[in-house]
Amino acid sequence: MTRYLARRLAFALFLVVAVSSASFVLARLAPGDFVTESLGSQASRQAIERERARFGLDKSIAAQYRAWLAAAVRLDFGRSMQYDRPVSDLIPERAANTAILALAALLLATAVGLPLGIVTGSRPGGVIPSTIRSASLVLLSMPPLLTSLLLVFIAARTGWLPIAGMRSASVPAAGAALDLLHHLVLPAAAIALPLAAMMERLQAQAMTEVVGEPFVRAALARGVPRSRVIWRGALKAALRPVAGVFGLVIGTLFSGSFAVEVITAWPGLGNLMLQALRARDIYLVAGCAGAGAIFLAFGTMVSDLALAAVDPRASETRSDEGSAP
Amino acid sequence: MPSKQALLHAKSTPSRRSADNFDRATSWPVSRIPIEQSRRILFTIALAVTVLVTACRSTPRPESNTPQTVRRGGELTASIRTEPASFNRHAARDTSTNLVSNLTQAMLVRVNQVTQAVEPALAESWQASDDRRRFTMALRRDVVFSDGQPFTADDVVFSFDAAYDEKSGSQLSDTLMVLGKPLQAAAVDPHTVTITFPERFAPGLRILDALPILPRHRLEPALKAGTLRKAWGLDTPLAEIAGLGPFVLNQYEPGQRIVFVRNPHYFVKAPDGTALPYLDRLVVEIIPDQTAEMLRLESGQLDMMTSQISPEAYAPIKRAADQGRVKLYDLGVSRNADGMWFNLKPGAFAGDPRAAWLQRDELRRAISMAVDRKLFADTVFFGAGVPVFGAETPANKQWYWSGQPQTPHDPAGAKGLLATIGLSDRNGDGMLEDATGQPARFTLITQKGRPNLERGAAVIRDELKKIGLAVDVVALDFSALVDRFVVKAQYDAIYFNADKSDLDPGTNPDFWFSSGSAHPWNLAQKTPATEWERRIDELMAKQIASPDEGERKRLYNDVQQIFSEHQPIIYFVAPRIYAASSSRVINVTPSEARPQLLWRPDTVAVVH
Repeated sequence: MTRYLARRLAFALFLVVAVSSASFVLARLAPGDFVTESLGSQASRQAIERERARFGLDKSIAAQYRAWLAAAVRLDFGRSMQYDRPVSDLIPERAANTAILALAALLLATAVGLPLGIVTGSRPGGVIPSTIRSASLVLLSMPPLLTSLLLVFIAARTGWLPIAGMRSASVPAAGAALDLLHHLVLPAAAIALPLAAMMERLQAQAMTEVVGEPFVRAALARGVPRSRVIWRGALKAALRPVAGVFGLVIGTLFSGSFAVEVITAWPGLGNLMLQALRARDIYLVAGCAGAGAIFLAFGTMVSDLALAAVDPRASETRSDEGSAP
Repeated sequence: MPSKQALLHAKSTPSRRSADNFDRATSWPVSRIPIEQSRRILFTIALAVTVLVTACRSTPRPESNTPQTVRRGGELTASIRTEPASFNRHAARDTSTNLVSNLTQAMLVRVNQVTQAVEPALAESWQASDDRRRFTMALRRDVVFSDGQPFTADDVVFSFDAAYDEKSGSQLSDTLMVLGKPLQAAAVDPHTVTITFPERFAPGLRILDALPILPRHRLEPALKAGTLRKAWGLDTPLAEIAGLGPFVLNQYEPGQRIVFVRNPHYFVKAPDGTALPYLDRLVVEIIPDQTAEMLRLESGQLDMMTSQISPEAYAPIKRAADQGRVKLYDLGVSRNADGMWFNLKPGAFAGDPRAAWLQRDELRRAISMAVDRKLFADTVFFGAGVPVFGAETPANKQWYWSGQPQTPHDPAGAKGLLATIGLSDRNGDGMLEDATGQPARFTLITQKGRPNLERGAAVIRDELKKIGLAVDVVALDFSALVDRFVVKAQYDAIYFNADKSDLDPGTNPDFWFSSGSAHPWNLAQKTPATEWERRIDELMAKQIASPDEGERKRLYNDVQQIFSEHQPIIYFVAPRIYAASSSRVINVTPSEARPQLLWRPDTVAVVH
């Protein structure tokens, strides 16, 4: 198990280095740079050259990449050109905000998607399962960008929820935590709804298969109440597919939250990355991409552990892999 | 853009991802439900959402017809799209940094964006020398910075030093140069300064509107160390930032908002003696997306956008305004119009057979005739635009040349002009070829992500196709476009904004002079490449130096006439500018210049 974990960590490290390096190089290779972006079309060529020298953009890509990589080994990820602050200062504060949003969306999606999937999977016919299934289809076909726009539109029309931001400018009497929750509803729902639909579909499929298994039929034949068979016996067996994708979902939450963060002005990594890309701030782009890779690596590990928890065969297989010569 | 059906189909296609579970999930949805049923369900859900939204629609707040008294106090929430790069105007020139500077700092003089008059600010009066090169300015007494320290002439001198310091590399230095040379500021006594211009400069003190007067006692060490641009970054404790403007920074939440509160020491008073600003607090939310920005405005969660309304957003805002939920401001025609120009650098097309016609005046005149400006206004600005034929739009009332020839929409005439430079349909395919039989084709670069520019470039392409010119439109990111245009000068033609920074032509020498760095069609020439550019150089030199406003006007009319004859930039349409605020915002003096509703932030008030 230790060797397995070590291998996973090594892979995670490789993923982070590869993703941030690729982002750095691609952002640097694209025509134009931070200086042309910030000085604009009315700047003189001399002014552009002067600023490029100031930011080290006059050096070759190879030299810049080597310098960046050497500094990154010492956990110095460069200085954001746009904000004139160390990238290592900017990322954590935004990553924490993204993590709050992602975690809330994941909890909401799980709390909604899994039970609904169990309902629709265990009862193929009827009005309620059909309605749930149809709603899932609609939500699955809507990208988070569209979901967030629709929710923002509803919030604007009703005035029930704040449309944008993470906190109010003045902390309300109800307290900061409640204020955060109030702001969290809309972006979390925008991410969670398509996710819940996906979980519902996955869980329903798995549940339908498990309900047809001999052990379930036998239990029902012996007179065990249906709800007990479904929620205790069948559920654990049917959790494997969802647990399998759970971690991947955590990883993709980062990219999924990208558009939602922009629409709802949530001050997370997605918003920061968009600004960095717009400004062609290569160090910040690489930092944000690296942080996204950490999310993905973390998600994959969680996925493996969750799978092992619901299906011991998975952990045995992995242990075997780990002990192979 | 894939259709809804295409999206559904894409979802229903079994994926060949590695995990088996993924196959199950993605192969599930649509196949289980008949199409008719799914349509019914989609319709039902859409209907339910519509009913819900309609039922829950917040009641419009009708705008009161009674005059609202301006009272001190209250909070206003405005929005910006991007975070400022710094709290230091010397470090960055983006619009958000500029807004922060306008809110927290003050200048010696202000240009009234409605009347265009130069008005006193920190300098309460001034006297010009006979040759109008030297201005002696009397500073207001008893003015203190927001931290309580007195403002003196030393702060003015320090601010000029900060702008011109080479080590610091201020973003303001170019703006404050007169014909490439700096101004000289000297303190006569604590309340008097002299500003000396290197040459006679007719626009005079207008350019000082760009210079924030900074506290020497706070920033002198940074200037001496050559690190002024690093001072007052976004991580600076806000208590360290002091200014003379109407507001002080109170709170900064990265990615979310900047909160300003009233500067208790602000020096300006209203005519009735009320200490300005009227507002207690100004919250500036950072909202990257204009759709979200507008929805917040409509729902009352935002009082004002600091940017103008895009043409696409006009209709919903107009509906909201008709319902009394927002105020819509028609600010008139824009001072600037997007334009198209060719690369006129001599030798830019060396070895290219198109060199025989790409840089010819006739080509540009033909393009101006070929494009239907009404169609352009209807397509690009949804009808909210006016035709433009020269370097100034009708918004520049003082300097617009009323004799400006109006190029008629005449595709046949355009074809005739092109024939004079050897472009005709030689193979009968409906498109033009040059004398060597090569197709008359060029690439038009524009900026990606700006719908006005992309739509405009598409209209130009389609209109020119009608006269047989083939245009390949390429949309590039802003930085890539600047790289191709300014740094590499590798392009055939560009459709972009060639904005002038101020209405007075004398403040735009970089645009007009052939040696200028913002002379778009041929940047920074050592000597004028053409006779007509040499003539413009001469006229502009006289125009900038002349003390006689009538003569300046005549000279600038001549410049516009030459420009019109050669059309180095082809202008088509100037958009109308609109801005919006919530109904509770009062006492706004709207202007076409940015920030349209907040250029005079101290007098803006809210009903509270």
